[in-house]
Amino acid sequence: MVKRKQWSEWMQQTVFVGPGLLFFALIILLPFFMGFYYTFTNWDGVDKADWVGLDNLTRVFTDDERFWSSFWFTSKFTVAAVVTTNLIAFGLALLLTRNLKLKGVLRTIFFLPNVIGGLLLGYIWYFIFVRGFSSIGESTGIGFFELPWLGTPATGFWGIVIVFVWQTAGYMMLIYVAAILNVPKELMEAARIDGASGWRILLSVTMPLIMPAITICLFLTTSNAFKMFDLNLALTGGGPGNATESIALNIYKESLTNGRYGLGTAKAMIFFFAVALITLLQVWTTKKREVEA
Amino acid sequence: MKKGITMLLTAALFVVLAGCGNGNNGGNAGNNQASTAGNTETNAGQTNAEKPEEPKKENVTIKVFQFKVEIADALQKLAEAYEQETGVKVEVETHGGGEDYSALLKAELAAGEEPEIFNSAGWAGFDPYVDRASDLSGEAWAKDLVEASKAQISRDGKLLGMPMNLEAYGFTYNKDLFAQAGITALPQTLDELEAAAKKLQDKGITPFALTSEWWSMGIHTLNIALANHEDPATFIEDVKAGKATFKDEPVMKDWLRLVDIMFANGQKNALTTDYNTQVAEFAAGKYAIIQHGNWIQGMVDEVNPELNLGMMPVPLGAKPYTFTGVPNNWIVNNKSAHAEEAKAFLNWMVSSETGKKYIATDFKFIPAVSTIAPDTAAIGKIGGDFATFSQEHADQVKGWNWDRFPDGITQQWGSAMQEYLGKQISGDELLGKLDKAVADIVKR
Repeated sequence: MVKRKQWSEWMQQTVFVGPGLLFFALIILLPFFMGFYYTFTNWDGVDKADWVGLDNLTRVFTDDERFWSSFWFTSKFTVAAVVTTNLIAFGLALLLTRNLKLKGVLRTIFFLPNVIGGLLLGYIWYFIFVRGFSSIGESTGIGFFELPWLGTPATGFWGIVIVFVWQTAGYMMLIYVAAILNVPKELMEAARIDGASGWRILLSVTMPLIMPAITICLFLTTSNAFKMFDLNLALTGGGPGNATESIALNIYKESLTNGRYGLGTAKAMIFFFAVALITLLQVWTTKKREVEA
Repeated sequence: MKKGITMLLTAALFVVLAGCGNGNNGGNAGNNQASTAGNTETNAGQTNAEKPEEPKKENVTIKVFQFKVEIADALQKLAEAYEQETGVKVEVETHGGGEDYSALLKAELAAGEEPEIFNSAGWAGFDPYVDRASDLSGEAWAKDLVEASKAQISRDGKLLGMPMNLEAYGFTYNKDLFAQAGITALPQTLDELEAAAKKLQDKGITPFALTSEWWSMGIHTLNIALANHEDPATFIEDVKAGKATFKDEPVMKDWLRLVDIMFANGQKNALTTDYNTQVAEFAAGKYAIIQHGNWIQGMVDEVNPELNLGMMPVPLGAKPYTFTGVPNNWIVNNKSAHAEEAKAFLNWMVSSETGKKYIATDFKFIPAVSTIAPDTAAIGKIGGDFATFSQEHADQVKGWNWDRFPDGITQQWGSAMQEYLGKQISGDELLGKLDKAVADIVKR
């Protein structure tokens, strides 16, 4: 009897987890480990793949300024994007959990940009920046719109940040809304009776209780911002020069433009460990601050 | 009981899954078999039809496996005309446009089909087909080829294909705006170019339509410098081998001055102008000069087909030059059945009156042989202007050199040019970056 039960357990696991696991292994794990192997070869993308040991890695670490400048760009971008996205998302969530008449409609509207694919969104915004902004600038003379948008390193950087925030803030807002609505009413009420101001309630009651949501949102934005590729490709293509080249785009160009797939996968491996390390650290620090009501 | 049901369901699920898998496999296998069978049948059919009475010309068929969709219909008509004249049947198969021509050609060759004539790009793109290409150096038309069209398809001094047509660029300029500014003679030197730009500026006309597009700067603008070198091939090999640098190359100093003149006299928002905008605004008459070639004619025609355009050679050294290249070649396949007939067809195409008319008028080509007069009405004003120029001043037509560099270098040059356009780096730094790009890519 015990044996049969165990067997049936196993059976159920295989049937329900098996197919998913199989495809995960085929589509994610296998390429990942193959990439691990190609890191140590001089693969040209076609058929040549000779073992070169640590050559690729030493080259990236000692002789590849472009990679490290894209690493620096990506880090700056991540900090700017994560802070602004979460501040805006949290602000919107606070607003839309009030008794607003249009809150349903507004939540949908703010969420909508997330439904549009990144590349398409990038091209739409490219048009807005290059044509829209410049014609607004011409007719109104406002300095902000007269900047050569996407044409200089600074405008390129902030251009991508703006679109990234516009795209992701809606999604993060939904997570925050769900968390805020789950904060027990009686705690708020108790605090209010105790004479706490709205600001005090936000800081000492709401914030600690929605810490799990903050963990998730920070995690999602950090990893997405770090891996940002499609917006970069569509908006600036890494230009002007290589000033706005994210790591993902750098890897892409190294492999597909320069035809050095081995070196590209080596960079991708370094990139993977960097993303893993940073997100783990972030989750670890925010997790420590989570409390229960 | 419950357990029993679960088991049953699981079992059922497995059966269904397994069933699906098998079904698919079976289907695929069936399709494959069917298609291979089809292929062999057609093969058999063709060889049967061709083999028995080879000497009789009526039964000779030349197969042309070609790439240019734009000329497909006209080429078909030309083939019919040839059959009427000589009795040799020419079968045209076109794979281009959205199709992956080189993959299809490789598949065709791998399947044992050997078309008599096929297309190939020059330089490195020609490498896979070198073994199949017949030597055409002795053909009657070979001596009439425009000089700049030969190198890309030659190996060890042998001409291995017939250049299909020419594309060219230089400074395409708006003749009406030049007239407005009172420029009567085209500038021949950098000083004259600067003076002409000044005249245009004085009339309130922006002289240059610039773009931040990497390929326009990294490929075309850089080629102006390379082509102005007295021996581009050797210089490029030396640069790749690390024996020569852009930094120490005297031509580059003049080239930097040319670039400075262009950048200083361009539109204000050059940094954010892409190719489409650049050409559209040029076509609308906002700028006097654009550094592009006959390929913008179609886009210009959409805006203003009447625009009075011409192509002027780019001043830099002692003489100004235009730059021409061959996008595609006719290759005669030496492993095919009727290679000699194929050579005869190509010869007829460029030497008979019918063939010449088709190339100039119906294909709308800028001819690569000097014996065919270009049809300026068909190719448009830019190409027409170039064609007349190249026949009058053959020594002022230089080649395209970017394909002599491996992939990745021109992209990095484009990036460096963007930085220079944005005034992030100085001229010396630019030259340094050009060298660095080559060093970075050459070191695999």
